Amino acid sequence: MKNTLKVERAILNFTQEELAEKIGVSRQTINSIETNRYVPSTLLALKLSKVFNKPVNEFFKLEEND
Amino acid sequence: MNMNKICDSEERRLHWLVNFKLPNYWKKIGWGVLIISFVFLILTKFFDGDYLVIKSILKKLTLVGLLIVVISKDKIEDELVENLRGKAFSFSFIIGVIYVLVQPIINYAAFLIFKPESAKFEDLGDFQILWFLLIVYLVTFWSLKRRNS
Repeated sequence: MKNTLKVERAILNFTQEELAEKIGVSRQTINSIETNRYVPSTLLALKLSKVFNKPVNEFFKLEEND
Repeated sequence: MNMNKICDSEERRLHWLVNFKLPNYWKKIGWGVLIISFVFLILTKFFDGDYLVIKSILKKLTLVGLLIVVISKDKIEDELVENLRGKAFSFSFIIGVIYVLVQPIINYAAFLIFKPESAKFEDLGDFQILWFLLIVYLVTFWSLKRRNS
């Protein structure tokens, strides 16, 4: 699964730390999601969706091998 | 209706037990207990005397300290940390079982080669197994966290 979290974050002009604080996780978690090392839970994905004001599938996309 | 309530309460209790962790400040207490008991355990090796009971208590205290460190929350205990904990637990469990099975054979083989007169097959003690499991867990957890930072 790939994501455009970094782009969405840049649009809102948030640092990783600020975004992490908004959804109640650590900066490391945001970094791990952005670098595709960690796939977040539905709960976290929905929290991100709320912050970005966009549906989840706009910034999380399935890849061919998923 | 009553049955549902009982099931819900059972579910909540099980969830609490499975996810139980101590608050973050316990980590420091755990390290304190671990370091002090470990230092005293080492010191007993340098003094003559029968310290069997003291050694046994110190070993248990060392394990208690390690356990407190292991089950204390991180400063930010989010879902990534929980995920890494799960991975570290399963890895240390598998390595622990392999260690319990293989280490006595290695010990025995080493004795056969270097000191054949005193070679005898012995299983590992509970302290050695638990110590190994907890240390492998901590090292795995730290390295996973470092990889994700």
